[in-house]
Amino acid sequence: MSDHWAYVVAAYALAVVVLGAYWRRLVRKERELKALHTARADHNTARTDHTMRSRQPSIPAHPRSDPGKRSPLQ
Amino acid sequence: MTRVLGWLAALALAIGLVMAFAIAPREVTQGNVQRIMYLHVPTAWVAYLAFGVVLVASIAYLARRAAVADRVAHASAEVGVVFTGITIAAGSIWGKPTWGTWWTWDARLTSVAILFVMYLGYLLLRGMIDDHERAARYCAVLGIVAALDVPLVHFSVYWWRTLHQPPSVLKPGAATMPPAILTALLVNLVAFTLLYVYLVAKRVGLLQQETEALAS
Amino acid sequence: MLVERRSKETLNALLFFALALLFVFQFALGPDRERLAAVLPGLLWLGFILSGVLGLGRVFLVERENDCWEALLLAPGDKSAIYLGKLAGSFVLMLVVEAIVLALFVLFFNVDLGPALPGLTLVILLGTLGFAAVGTLFAAMTAQVRARELLFPVLLLPVLVPVLLGTVKATEALLLREPLADVAHWLKLLVAADVVYLAVGLLTFDFILEG
Repeated sequence: MSDHWAYVVAAYALAVVVLGAYWRRLVRKERELKALHTARADHNTARTDHTMRSRQPSIPAHPRSDPGKRSPLQ
Repeated sequence: MTRVLGWLAALALAIGLVMAFAIAPREVTQGNVQRIMYLHVPTAWVAYLAFGVVLVASIAYLARRAAVADRVAHASAEVGVVFTGITIAAGSIWGKPTWGTWWTWDARLTSVAILFVMYLGYLLLRGMIDDHERAARYCAVLGIVAALDVPLVHFSVYWWRTLHQPPSVLKPGAATMPPAILTALLVNLVAFTLLYVYLVAKRVGLLQQETEALAS
Repeated sequence: MLVERRSKETLNALLFFALALLFVFQFALGPDRERLAAVLPGLLWLGFILSGVLGLGRVFLVERENDCWEALLLAPGDKSAIYLGKLAGSFVLMLVVEAIVLALFVLFFNVDLGPALPGLTLVILLGTLGFAAVGTLFAAMTAQVRARELLFPVLLLPVLVPVLLGTVKATEALLLREPLADVAHWLKLLVAADVVYLAVGLLTFDFILEG
């Protein structure tokens, strides 16, 4: 009975492609979010520098509640 | 931490691959096409594991309202769907040369296909609710219903296929496995489980970053 | 008053839908008597389920259309009472539709129910209960969601596969005049499914109606 290596390769190749694609998607999103985060951090520092010179006191960033403690009914 | 997991998983998968192709012997009845089992069975196992985790995390979320529980449920459902898809595809590819057909309403394949659709529905529900908190709640309920339904689906499909019907084909992967094959299978099981844990950990981290990014 | 009128509208529409289905089945399968007889149990339950999905999709329609959703959320007391109330309503509605569909089937497809009727009644009761239990829960879940008409059947049908299989196989056996004892395992499955669905529904409905 022939070994049907083509099928074996096909199955494994499919798994590699799908898992690889998913993993790459995760990595890409992570990179985007990190870039966004650093861009925001830079923006915030620049803004704070600017507002320190102005007469109006700067409004501090809205305090972010810890997601773990956030209650849905609040 | 996630990084370590990733490398560990990669290593385990590499070992698993070597065992599947170099060390495990050629199977007597089916020939080398049987080696697909070292992929198909572990991914099936991980799929069920993933949805078990969805159940536990969903219950935990409803009980404690911890955002991390919701993130784990979401991540596990997503990774679970990926693994379920691979299970079905690999099973189908295995079926073509051995059973002569791409698809058959065999009990196991049918059960897994229903599982696939159920958890796709879970992800769909997530996507269609804009309010994050409500999405978490509703999906938790759906996650619990779907998971508890799995044994019911199993039995109903199994009885549908086997009772009053001659058993269709020899199930791939004979009941008594020679030790070399069993070991290779177990190694791959561990490897894919590690991969699952790594992917879920990564996804959970991403979900957390996404929520934080939205909040600022 | 409004709810009653809605129910009557729904009932009428569902009956016409069932009639239309009957015609579609006949045309799709042609005049071949034997083939029709073979697939009859499946067709019957297909009819029940399609009507059920349509009917159940409207369970929370009144609240949604009249902006009474908040009233539901703020209602004092155990939300489970709402669940049971809605469930009972859907259950009765579905039973009425099913009874009429069954009668139509007997008429148009010349089915001889005879001694199978009591067993069949039991199967229909068990199946419909499971259907209504999950259906009411999912209807509440999808009531406030985008694309609810699509999402509701997509979520409901895979989950209800055990009920579908159990009822069709049991109906098939009963119509072939097999004794009820032969389908005992299917009946047990249906009972188990009903218990699970009801329990989960009662326990989790509160979380759906939180707000």
